[in-house]
Amino acid sequence: MTSISKPLSGPRSLSRRSLLSEFKALVAVFRREWIIFRRYPSWILALFIWPVIFPAGYILSGRALSGPDGSGLALFAKATGTHDFIGYIAVGTTIWMWQNVVLWNVGTSLRNEQMRGTLESNWLSSTWRFSFLLGSSMTQLVTMLVFLVISALEFGLVFGVQFHGNVLLLLLVLLVSMPSIYGLGFAFASLVINARESGSFVQLVRGLVMVFCGITFPISFLPSWMHGVADWLPPTYMIHAIRSVVLTGASLTAIWPDIRMLLLFGAAWLVIGYLLFNWMERRARRTGAIGQY
Amino acid sequence: MTEWAIEAENLVKKFDRKVMAGGEDNPGKNGEKISAKKRRWWPFSSRATHSIFTAVNGVSFKIERGEVFGLLGPNGAGKSTTIRMLCTLLEPSGGTGRLNGYDIQKQANQVRQSLGAVLGGERSVYWKLTARENLEYFAALYHIPPEIAHQRVKMLLERVELTARADELVEKFSSGMKQRVAIARSLLSDPPIILLDEPTLGLDPQAARHVRAMVNELKAEGHTILLTTHYMEEADQLSDRIGIIDQGKIIALDTPAALKRRISQSDVIRMEISGWHDDLAGVLKALPGIETLATSHMGSDSLYEVNLHASNSRQVLPGIIENINQNGTRLVNMNIVQPTLEDVFISLTGKALRD
Repeated sequence: MTSISKPLSGPRSLSRRSLLSEFKALVAVFRREWIIFRRYPSWILALFIWPVIFPAGYILSGRALSGPDGSGLALFAKATGTHDFIGYIAVGTTIWMWQNVVLWNVGTSLRNEQMRGTLESNWLSSTWRFSFLLGSSMTQLVTMLVFLVISALEFGLVFGVQFHGNVLLLLLVLLVSMPSIYGLGFAFASLVINARESGSFVQLVRGLVMVFCGITFPISFLPSWMHGVADWLPPTYMIHAIRSVVLTGASLTAIWPDIRMLLLFGAAWLVIGYLLFNWMERRARRTGAIGQY
Repeated sequence: MTEWAIEAENLVKKFDRKVMAGGEDNPGKNGEKISAKKRRWWPFSSRATHSIFTAVNGVSFKIERGEVFGLLGPNGAGKSTTIRMLCTLLEPSGGTGRLNGYDIQKQANQVRQSLGAVLGGERSVYWKLTARENLEYFAALYHIPPEIAHQRVKMLLERVELTARADELVEKFSSGMKQRVAIARSLLSDPPIILLDEPTLGLDPQAARHVRAMVNELKAEGHTILLTTHYMEEADQLSDRIGIIDQGKIIALDTPAALKRRISQSDVIRMEISGWHDDLAGVLKALPGIETLATSHMGSDSLYEVNLHASNSRQVLPGIIENINQNGTRLVNMNIVQPTLEDVFISLTGKALRD
């Protein structure tokens, strides 16, 4: 892996490429994104506001529809196995926000670099180019973990949601959810570089997740053809598995079918994301897309 | 390992260009029209013309180690495309190139390790990071060992005279200061080869002087520098040799002095004329003894700089003055001057660099 340029005379490059230096470059990308994130106070404020604001509308609708005495909840409990409709909505909307934020942040990370003018200066270095996407995803993952913790605390404080169940099992579900969420983000980032527009794609994907994955209602209420679509969307399994763990205390055996599907989707999306990135990188070198705004 | 720092051999770059309906239908000199179809089944498709645009058309040159080589040409001549192919950001459509002995296509990583480049000027650094954070970040990308990187960042901040403001966000810097951060970034790995794409574009005269002084220092240290510019004075002042590029082709390549000697047999008449109109160009060109004529707009409504090359200025001046001072045109200023690189460009292409 180590290669050193050796000119005949004059200055000699100090660049020393190795596996360790590649790892340090990845950490540098992570650190750069983290520093920039901290310099936008409004982004930090959003971490505290969104967990409450977004589900509030659905929760208040649920309260109104269940009637003053909550008698309308019986049908909901029969379909979902829990009376805790607030926790049910909180889990669905949190996963939706996770996927949404990954699409916006990871999905547009390369495009943002392209528009800032820094993509070329990054790619002029000898660092493995996928590291730029990986590093910014790592920063996003850390901020998302903070977001999840803040969400859990605020749901308890503001809405009185009581989460129970095995925390380790919850962490396992979150872990196996990451590859499909971030793999889709990688694929997205690669496509956006060529399309140079991200808004309509993000709206489409998050709309699909909102309608088909049952973020605020059980998908058993959907027409049967919509079930078929939901089966192909990883958030369906994430939401189902997390609700099962934190609201009904399900065991590993009970959620194993969801975990298996998340692993399969995760592997597929990581491969698709990586292949699309390589395709984009080759295409950009042919078309000059890297330097275009 | 070759003795040449940079070699370009018959480099070609073609782009697919789409001209939307209502746009210019003529693909231009460097373009060939290939299709004009509308997909009938797709309601949002526009009648777009696709053409192949040849940005670089068979460019060849060799640059010695320690040499400053200037690529001089007007905007859109193919300078930046050439430099982007050499630094591996663009894949050539044809031809080959080598940097520091490494093939730009087959040994891209070694090429990138051998060079530092300033492309895109002040936008090529992070405005939300400080100057020091920028340099530390790029040092990691260039795989510089941390113990060396720390010293290098400190030394480069001193060199570009930003030590006092090293911990301020780049967004608060002037354009010249941002450009100095970009130049420091390109020097992080002390690369043998430095590529500078329009390094003084948009800078005030003092900042531009600072950048030019730095180029001279780098040359003295033994760096090989490939510089693109459309400022003839800059190319003349900094370059050991100059390649004049126009419409994707190198049309002349030599030392600045040798290039200027090519037209030393001619007199160069430089005039400022108000009320200029294009018909006058034909009239002046038809005068006996006039070799070439090129005009460039000087900013105010009808004030133009007109450059004439003539075999004997004394013979042609009466005819020129007689034809100019009529029909509302007026000669504002006139000089017989020493030929510059601009005049070389005019004699080769019949147009001014600033066209």
